Amino acid sequence: MAKKPSPAKPHADIHPAAVPFLWLANKKVVKNFIYVPLIGLIVFSLLGLVFPLYHPAKWDFFMSYSVIGFVSYSFVVLAAWPLFKLLSRPENYYGEGGDD
Amino acid sequence: MISFLTSFSPAFILIFAGILAGFMPSYPGRKVLMIGAPAAALVLLNVMFLSASGTDGYLGGYLSVAGIELTTIRIDQLSMIWGNIFAFVGIINGIFALHEKCKITDTSALIYTGAGIGAVFAGDLITLFIFWELLALSSVFIVWRGGKEAYPAGMRYLAMHILSGVLLLSGAVIYGRATGSYEFNHIGMDAPGGKLMLLAMGIKAGFPFLHNWIQDAYPKSSVTGTVILSVFTTKLAIYALARGYAGTELLIYIGGIMAVFPVFFAVLENDLRKVLSYSLNNQLGFMVAGIGIGSSLALNGVAAHVVVDILFKGLLFMSMGAVLHRVGTTKASELGGLFRSMPYTTLFCIIGAGSISAFPLMGGFISKSMIIAAMFEEGHLIVFLMLLFASAGVLEHSGIKVPYFAFFAHDSGKRVKEAPWNMLAAMGIAAFFCIYLALPIPGAGMYSLYAMLPYEMTGDAAFLPYTGDHVVFQMQLLMAAMLAFTVLKKIGLYPPERRAQILDSDWIYRRLGLSLLIWADAMWTRLGTHIKLVVRRVLSFAAKRLYYVFSPAGALSQDAPSGLAAVLTAFMLAASLLIVYFLR
Repeated sequence: MAKKPSPAKPHADIHPAAVPFLWLANKKVVKNFIYVPLIGLIVFSLLGLVFPLYHPAKWDFFMSYSVIGFVSYSFVVLAAWPLFKLLSRPENYYGEGGDD
Repeated sequence: MISFLTSFSPAFILIFAGILAGFMPSYPGRKVLMIGAPAAALVLLNVMFLSASGTDGYLGGYLSVAGIELTTIRIDQLSMIWGNIFAFVGIINGIFALHEKCKITDTSALIYTGAGIGAVFAGDLITLFIFWELLALSSVFIVWRGGKEAYPAGMRYLAMHILSGVLLLSGAVIYGRATGSYEFNHIGMDAPGGKLMLLAMGIKAGFPFLHNWIQDAYPKSSVTGTVILSVFTTKLAIYALARGYAGTELLIYIGGIMAVFPVFFAVLENDLRKVLSYSLNNQLGFMVAGIGIGSSLALNGVAAHVVVDILFKGLLFMSMGAVLHRVGTTKASELGGLFRSMPYTTLFCIIGAGSISAFPLMGGFISKSMIIAAMFEEGHLIVFLMLLFASAGVLEHSGIKVPYFAFFAHDSGKRVKEAPWNMLAAMGIAAFFCIYLALPIPGAGMYSLYAMLPYEMTGDAAFLPYTGDHVVFQMQLLMAAMLAFTVLKKIGLYPPERRAQILDSDWIYRRLGLSLLIWADAMWTRLGTHIKLVVRRVLSFAAKRLYYVFSPAGALSQDAPSGLAAVLTAFMLAASLLIVYFLR
């Protein structure tokens, strides 16, 4: 009698140590991940009132680093659009092949 | 026995081991050398340090070469911290490379590590130069191990480093002749040859416009090669600057620019090892700026940042090396979802990313804060803001981009094996120290890092990173940057990863310079052809004229009228008589 093919194990191609963390790729988790830094930002900005800077600069206020972080990061990322247009060339531009 | 062991630089153990590895056919034997030699050097240099404790420093290992006395050992607080981390990372690199059966990499890595340690312990400029060049020569083979495509990058790498060596030697000779001493202490910009040596160190440290060799060569090396390369060359340059140019104001601004500009390139790059190479440049900027300040807090910050940077940057390069080893690429556009296959590598990469981003309880939080605080204390507010901006940028390229696009993002569907055990072990050790050195445990953790620093960190000089305001405001910066990432991603303004060659200032010599050379060559060839043609015409014309005069059918062979001959003869006779008359 032919053996019954064993049912394919779920997550057979996933590393066992990664299985408990597969929820990280869940669409809902990804979609709602924005709340993690948002809540973190609100909490730490409010904590800025409790722990004001010991040596503030002229421009500092209770959430000044939040503003600096958000603006700086956004500037870097948004600058990538025009910079890519300006500086990107085909991969073999120098005629030496890719990097890998 | 101890006096014998302490009479030569620990660097020679590694260099000798490297030469031995070159002749050793046994792969396990070479691997024993790869781990054993840096371990032996680590022990030896600490024995030296302990035997010199209570003194300001120890000079030794004298060698006489061509009438110049070389000092191959100079043990003090500054050299010890670099020596310790170089030797320690040499061991980690040895573990990471255990699986690789390449004699060239083993030999070069050992000599390269030895040259790095030798240069750090150099007591004079000539010894520094010798190890400086050995560093370049040994490391280029590691670059070339990246394959055929790494060859031109290796040649450019070698050219830059040879140039750096020539500048260093020229500066050292000018300095030595003017001052009568080759001792390697504080030099300063105004010293004879000082600017040349600063430029030499600037090449190795990746100053703006001199930085391209890093992003050109490092990502093209092999899996293990990039990890090894990321440690020594640039950090040696930081050591040399800290030793010779502490307090040079120009370095504050150079450092500020260095910290900022790579951030923009790192966002554009698709190859994650290249992203990390830009990130390396950016972290060097913090160090250079700290050296420029030159206060004890700033220099302690630089030394601490060198230690943690070697660990977290090595960790990030190792994680990308593991990805390259298993997947065959580190292009962000082709990766994603690898946490399913490589969970431990993912974890280590996240620790490295957190550390470089300066999250509390991770390495960068302590060291980077020291430099930024020193910048604020000294009133350099513009550069202070530049460093804050760069900190947000670091979070983008190394904190988010590298782990996100490699291990998360969209699932690329690539299912590979986890990294080999030796790679995981090396990453585990580095990750452990990234966290350990930031823990506020009395007598351990960050205090063990403080104990290694060149200046006292007690009393008024104590730097306390875990104050409420510091933790809160640092977290504000990081959370805001993370929020910006999620918002930009959600509204589709985060640029997609695309395969492309991003132009940097190396375009000047790789494209413009090359085109100019090709044009000059073509012009020279055309000019040569043209000159040849003109010369040929002139010669042909002259030959024709001579032929018309002297040939058997020429003018001189023809019968001339006797009357004309008589006139000519009389004229010549008269001229001769006049000459003789006046000369007498």
